[in-house]
Amino acid sequence: MGIVIAVISGKGGVGKTTAAANIGLGIAMNGKKCVVVDFDIGQRNLDMILGLENRVVYDIVQVMDKEVNIKQALIKSKSHDKFYFLAASQTKDKTVLNSKKVKELVDSLKEEFDFVILDSPAGIESGYEHTIEFADAAVVVVNPEVSSIRDADRAIGILDSKSQKVKDGGEVEKYLIINRIEPNMVKRGEMLNSKDILDILNINLLGKVPEDKAVIDASNQGKPIILDKSSKAGQAYFRIASRISGNSIEMVDVESETDGIFKKLTGIFK
Amino acid sequence: MKSKQYSLKVLEVEVEDEQETIAFFEKNYILFQNHLISLKGKVTDNLLKLLKSKKLSYIVDTNLPKAKVTKVEQKEEHEKLRNSLVVIDKIIRSGQEIVIDGDLLLLNRVNSGAVIRVSGNLIISRIVEGSIYCNGEFMMLVASPKANIIFNGVEVDNSYLKDKLNRIELKNNEIIITPVIKKEINWA
Repeated sequence: MGIVIAVISGKGGVGKTTAAANIGLGIAMNGKKCVVVDFDIGQRNLDMILGLENRVVYDIVQVMDKEVNIKQALIKSKSHDKFYFLAASQTKDKTVLNSKKVKELVDSLKEEFDFVILDSPAGIESGYEHTIEFADAAVVVVNPEVSSIRDADRAIGILDSKSQKVKDGGEVEKYLIINRIEPNMVKRGEMLNSKDILDILNINLLGKVPEDKAVIDASNQGKPIILDKSSKAGQAYFRIASRISGNSIEMVDVESETDGIFKKLTGIFK
Repeated sequence: MKSKQYSLKVLEVEVEDEQETIAFFEKNYILFQNHLISLKGKVTDNLLKLLKSKKLSYIVDTNLPKAKVTKVEQKEEHEKLRNSLVVIDKIIRSGQEIVIDGDLLLLNRVNSGAVIRVSGNLIISRIVEGSIYCNGEFMMLVASPKANIIFNGVEVDNSYLKDKLNRIELKNNEIIITPVIKKEINWA
């Protein structure tokens, strides 16, 4: 039986889909069979970030409505043979989802894969609620800014009251990714530091990802940043994916890493 | 001579209205079957007749030692207080609203966007970034520069909450803030 992980954030634009794509691929790179499911019905993006745009034939809604078999809709990644993708529908909207259909889908994916990553839509509407409903764990993605933290806090509150696991008397494990950290800004005190964020949200830290311009280019080209071994964000996502896969990887303090003038100078003299 | 010492419960009744007292015993006599009922005030024959018919023991106009009585009163008050105090040790997240009819002791954070409404007194031991509505006699809060605090309908200027723990009271329509603990306690 696989583990179902919902990637959530509350606020949009914090890097949820990028995180889902990279974590999914990273888990596969760690040798586990993994599928990433785009739950953002009506606004699918994940296919583009994975570079699988033109391979989408069938989508999640068609699978849930039993128009096609799940095997027909699963798309195998170009980058790794243990990594699969299930696209959201671009023509429907969130109202097509209901608990019974979602449960059936999630259950059948759990049998097939070690990890099922659900990329949640932004916001806290029904689409979000269905994403977290049958999740075993949640990865919360935030940016180090107050609006993102408050929205994530709200999303966690809903997770703690509406997921099936909680209704059955259990608890959904929650892990935090702090994305787009600008070490220089944190140093100057212009950006929230991770200690404060962890204090507010009160969940376990899964990893910190520094701001990296290469992410945008990687998304545009459909090659997840994790494939770029030299990029800082890619390395961070690989560490995160390894932790999820069950390896114990030490936390790297990305906040103290700076590309200050001295570092650049020592680079020249090397 | 054979003697035995034991305590028993006494129900002291000051009768003011005969009918009211009779109605009370008609309804509740079972509760006082093992009590001694000490009657004072306007004790009437009808009332005594009723007590006899219900097989209740009673005495009339006797001065009993008072010590026991005050103790019972204290205990009752204590229980009342304890029953109305709610203790929560859970982080209150954005969008959550806690409504308490009574006193609240909150041992965790109140995050931005969360609301606490309390009809009684309020003590929060960690930082507040959300809204608080308290209608009790006092509040105890830590310094919380981002909080929105309404105390008995009056907004509290939280720039006055500077210390580790502050007591906020309303006296003669004036909000009085007194520091309780000035700085973080260092136990080491």
